[in-house]
Amino acid sequence: MNTQSILDEIEPDMVERLAERKNEIDQGSPAPSGIVTALAIGSVPIALAALSRNVYGQTLPAAIKSVLDFALALEIFENEFYKAVLGTSSSAAQNAAFAPVRALAAGVPGAVNTLQQIQKHEAAHVATLLATGATNVFNLDATTFDFTGNRSAGGGGAFAKATTDLPFLLEVAQGAEDTGVRAYKGQAANLMSNSAILEAALRIHSVEARHAARIRRMRRAAANAPTDVRYSGTVRGGERAAAGGTDLGPNPTAVGAAFDKIYGAGANATTAPSESNTTHGGINVTSLAAAQFGTAAAQEAFDEPLDRADVVAIVQPFFIPTIS
Amino acid sequence: MSDRSQMVFTSGDQLLQATTRRRFLGMLSVGGAIVLLPGVFAACNNDDDNDTGTNPTGTPYKLDLSTDIGILNYAYALEQLEAAYYTSALTSAGFAALSANEQEVLSDLQKHEVIHREFFKQVLGSAAIPTIAFNATTVGTLTASRDVLLRTSQLLEDTGVSAYNGAGKYLTSAAYLLIAGKIVSVEARHAAAIRDIRDGANGRLFAGDDVVDASGLDVKAEPDTVLAGVVSLNVVTSPLTIGTLPAQSKRTPDKAAPTPQ
Repeated sequence: MNTQSILDEIEPDMVERLAERKNEIDQGSPAPSGIVTALAIGSVPIALAALSRNVYGQTLPAAIKSVLDFALALEIFENEFYKAVLGTSSSAAQNAAFAPVRALAAGVPGAVNTLQQIQKHEAAHVATLLATGATNVFNLDATTFDFTGNRSAGGGGAFAKATTDLPFLLEVAQGAEDTGVRAYKGQAANLMSNSAILEAALRIHSVEARHAARIRRMRRAAANAPTDVRYSGTVRGGERAAAGGTDLGPNPTAVGAAFDKIYGAGANATTAPSESNTTHGGINVTSLAAAQFGTAAAQEAFDEPLDRADVVAIVQPFFIPTIS
Repeated sequence: MSDRSQMVFTSGDQLLQATTRRRFLGMLSVGGAIVLLPGVFAACNNDDDNDTGTNPTGTPYKLDLSTDIGILNYAYALEQLEAAYYTSALTSAGFAALSANEQEVLSDLQKHEVIHREFFKQVLGSAAIPTIAFNATTVGTLTASRDVLLRTSQLLEDTGVSAYNGAGKYLTSAAYLLIAGKIVSVEARHAAAIRDIRDGANGRLFAGDDVVDASGLDVKAEPDTVLAGVVSLNVVTSPLTIGTLPAQSKRTPDKAAPTPQ
């Protein structure tokens, strides 16, 4: 019977030093807030990793930190977006901008609850990523985004309709959540050398998928919604068709192009296939004899990754500073 | 710091509790003894005859989770379970009691899980475990009403999410990790959809506080936890067991799929 535990892997006097440091922090010794948060998180491996870095001055491998910094940027973006929608942003201007659609959401049973639940998670993701060792390398905050997609504090971009039109807002939210799912999926392999961090990333990734599914269901519940937006919350088709019955707003070229990027292939269609892809690990699932359900079901059954540069291309219009 | 000389753990969940953890680390700093009883890591099986796909003698449903193939077979087993359940559900009294929109969801889920099952069967080829036998009577009970159908579906989907989230770290192939990643987000969409059906107009259950914790993290469970839960459903009649656990140095505390309320 193997009783080896994670702590058996660590030298005894190192464990002792970590325990001493933890006690110091518990008793009020100054420590970076990320450490304090890490200790509060219900993950012993993350807590130990954070303590270890604090005590021994080790840094995360650069490749892993880079992924976490990128994920943090996306989570700050989502968090600030939902706070603006809910009217709880630290930016009065953003809160004011979204007041019209906020009032509309209040008239739909469960809609505000959903937006609050999602925002709560995005805020938690920000805290968790910071605790895991990410830093806000792009210096993002409530004032560094243009949710109209024009990279301007003055707004005026192709997505401005999201501030006044609830169906359009939900399209944008769906796009953001589905982008998050694709982004995390595309980065998972880069985290394989740290099993605790990989696991945390997988656990965030599945939450974003839950968010995306709920928003799709809300959109489908609207009158005359297209049946391609599945009540199962899954993604049918590719490019803008996978967004489902998209209202492209007053600037259909820009909005259509954005959804083509969110749901299409990335720059490298091998590493970042379109959501319409049905071949995985070399196997075209539409050819499986005992699973003949047509192309749509085959597309829905698997989600696809995007590479980092593809995600940057999608979200950069909403970030005033340049990100990478 | 505790002044006891020994701490005894009976379950992995104890490592997660703040008071226990504080004492645990304090113990180590004073050279106390930590005792980890077998329950901390669930059942280990010392029997080393035929883990999956290698030795043809003995039970072919025994999983060697120390290999990527074993982890994929674990996923294949869970997809077999979901596929069998939803396929049976389509002709059940519970399904007939659903609204048209709800039936669309269950129909989609059945298609997706069968696709997942057949995909893994194809990926694994001759290394695949055989088709698992299911208890039709129990499945019938679990599809007999709208309520039990939705509760069971929610549990299966949340369990699937927890299984993939807990197993991903054990894969050594980036290609297999990607495959698992492509599937787990679909299971999470499924879980959210079923939960949302059950939620009425509340609007939070899709990603409720019972599955997403204060750190914003979704459920995860170790393979032995998941399989123990599956066995306890009494739907599987084949002897699905673990021959070799995955690397326990990577093990993390569980946040298992909750019983649907």
